[in-house]
Amino acid sequence: MSWYDLFWAGAIIVGAIYLLYRSIWKKRGFCPGCDAHTCGSRQQKTDKGEKSW
Amino acid sequence: MSQAAVKLAHPEPAKVLTVAVAGNPNSGKSTLINGLAGTRLQVGNWPGVTVEKKEATLEFQGRRVRLVDLPGTYSLSPYSEEEVIARDYLVEARPDVILNVVDATNLERNLYLTVQMLELGLPVVMALNIYDEARNKGWEINPALIEETLGIKVIPTVATKKEGLTALMEAVLEVGDNPEAHAPRPLNYGQDLEAAVVEVDKEIRLHSPALVERYPARWLALKLLESDPRIVEETGLGTGSFISRAAKHLKEAHGDDIESLLGDARYAQASGLTREVLKKKTTTKRELTEKIDRIVLHRFLGIPIFLAAMWVMFKLTFDVSNPYADWMNGLVTGPLKRWAEALLGLVAAPDWTVSLATEGVLAGVGFVIVFIPVIFAMMFFITFLEGSGYMARAAFVMDRAMHSMGLHGKSFIPLLLGFGCNVPAVYATRTLENPRDKILTALLIPLMSCGARLPVYVLFAGAFFPGRAGTAIWSLYVMGIVMAVLVGILFKKTLFKGENPLFIMELPPYRMPTLKSLMIHTWEKGKHFLIKAGTYILAVSVLVWFLLNLPWGVEQKKDSYLGQAGTVIAPVFKPLGFGNWEAASSLVTGVIAKEIVVGTMGEIYLPKEKKAEDEKPPTFLEDLQEIGVSFLSATKQAGENVISSFGVAKLSAEEKEETKPLKKVIQGAFTPLSAYAFMAFVLLYMPCMIVAVAFRDEFGTWKWFGVAFAYQMVLAWGVALVIYQGGRLLGLGG
Repeated sequence: MSWYDLFWAGAIIVGAIYLLYRSIWKKRGFCPGCDAHTCGSRQQKTDKGEKSW
Repeated sequence: MSQAAVKLAHPEPAKVLTVAVAGNPNSGKSTLINGLAGTRLQVGNWPGVTVEKKEATLEFQGRRVRLVDLPGTYSLSPYSEEEVIARDYLVEARPDVILNVVDATNLERNLYLTVQMLELGLPVVMALNIYDEARNKGWEINPALIEETLGIKVIPTVATKKEGLTALMEAVLEVGDNPEAHAPRPLNYGQDLEAAVVEVDKEIRLHSPALVERYPARWLALKLLESDPRIVEETGLGTGSFISRAAKHLKEAHGDDIESLLGDARYAQASGLTREVLKKKTTTKRELTEKIDRIVLHRFLGIPIFLAAMWVMFKLTFDVSNPYADWMNGLVTGPLKRWAEALLGLVAAPDWTVSLATEGVLAGVGFVIVFIPVIFAMMFFITFLEGSGYMARAAFVMDRAMHSMGLHGKSFIPLLLGFGCNVPAVYATRTLENPRDKILTALLIPLMSCGARLPVYVLFAGAFFPGRAGTAIWSLYVMGIVMAVLVGILFKKTLFKGENPLFIMELPPYRMPTLKSLMIHTWEKGKHFLIKAGTYILAVSVLVWFLLNLPWGVEQKKDSYLGQAGTVIAPVFKPLGFGNWEAASSLVTGVIAKEIVVGTMGEIYLPKEKKAEDEKPPTFLEDLQEIGVSFLSATKQAGENVISSFGVAKLSAEEKEETKPLKKVIQGAFTPLSAYAFMAFVLLYMPCMIVAVAFRDEFGTWKWFGVAFAYQMVLAWGVALVIYQGGRLLGLGG
């Protein structure tokens, strides 16, 4: 495996870990309630701002 | 209402007219807002769908209107979270108009809330909703008489058909622009009560004039008289002052406490008005809903009917969706794989990236996507049951069973939500008043089998129980419910001792959900599985591929990092019948999301394909043609499955004829008994990471997730052990 391959493999692993962190922890997953606005997780985070859809 | 008249817009606070949409649960508030603003708030023919207040903004006749959808409540007392949210908003935010959505088929009960809203003195417009059903029952309601009596605008509406919405918005604008001209008529609660209100109001103005600015005056006086705990606390006006004098006088005069007196006065208003404005045709014919309920809610038949309804749902889910799942499987393992290889070949990508794309991403994500038709079919039937009104009956039937064993009946509503996804179900526990009940219910929710576990069941049940796959899946859902009841009883007798509050559940009339509404809500429920596939399932598939290929150049998957870790854990599962590293590794990655169990198995079990030298791959056009033809064939197969006696025999024959690669491999790695023990383990073992985060969000601590994790691991291991070892003792195989 060349340095070039190592670089890309490392970048892909970091990207996958970041995607995992972002979708699970930062975005609190994604459940049917998010779109239907019956799930409180996002509501709590956007309470301060005006929200419309 | 035409789309030209109403369109979504970004709010501009200076011009916005704020309208609070309030009413009883299941009166159609969310449907009304959806009809007005073209939004997609979740609706369901059962109470308690809206937990928090939600907002939508629309433009009507050049005016911007902000609609605030409040949770459905039966009163404005401060005893449940929904009531507190609705009441606080009306009192503190003082919207320009209250849009009171009234269910015309339940007039008296809905008017009880209207009477309380009028106490606030804010302008009210009444949407007399579900008017068509009242008319169909032969009822005659006189909206003009309600207007005259209460001094508010009353507009008959049918939100589901968007009837009366333009007139309703016109009334809202008229009232919002001229609030003084449309102030509601004060209701008279009787001489003594009115005298007490005047006395208390006078004293408040004298001693605490600032409070009159903060609260509507009449409402404040009434709340203080009935010793509303929140208002007493907020105002600091306790019972040792002029209020207690007035209250004592009333009690002496009527021999009853003020809360009961006021309740009676409000009921008298609602009941009297209903008698005046509603004319019912006298009929001896029992209505359809009541007729059905006599059977569905029967003391002994109720639970068997519920279980039968679930069985039919799983049967149909499996029969309808399985041909499409097979079609998706062919798509993923055939054309998509070839196209990915061809594209990467075009850019001269290194071999390992081709392997990552096909044996990592496509095998991992692809094998989850294959089950998307199954998940959508399941969500369709759940949406149908919700919309038809049966889900509320299911809660009622189970409530009786659960309550008799010491569990809180209202808890069953979040538990039912858990069948779709456990995450919103955990958040829905906030509708429960008692913190102990909230935690207990949240702890039981992961035992409800969510849609994410379905791919595992469909794969294993299809491979090991052909012809009885629907029944096998159904038995797992029932197992989840039974375990929830048993664990609930155990917790209630140990960690969560206490009284069970009374639970009153409204049973809505049966309705046939519209196809459009079914489609929209099926999509809303199902699409997050697609998003999951594109986010964390993709990420885990990539990481699993690396773990299966590190140290670099590893020959056997068993010697990879994942294989080594799986080998260390595997002995734990040996007594359960699946003590191999492949199953152990899949269970570990499945803690991120349960579908990943299948994705990981796809990556582990599928061997590298060796292409024959002389094999000529089909062209792109041939692939497209094959996709179209196989899709039509799947549609035909699904139709035949439903029509021909639910298609059991037919489906099993298909399965035997053409066993899919992953099924074939797991048939070699498991026995029917160990496969069932494995499915039970997947059902019961720890909640996924997203549920863990929901626990942390809702309860502010990891402690309760820790409790769920610990008891579920023990339970899953114990149940799988009993199934496997018990089955062996009974001679059901090894």
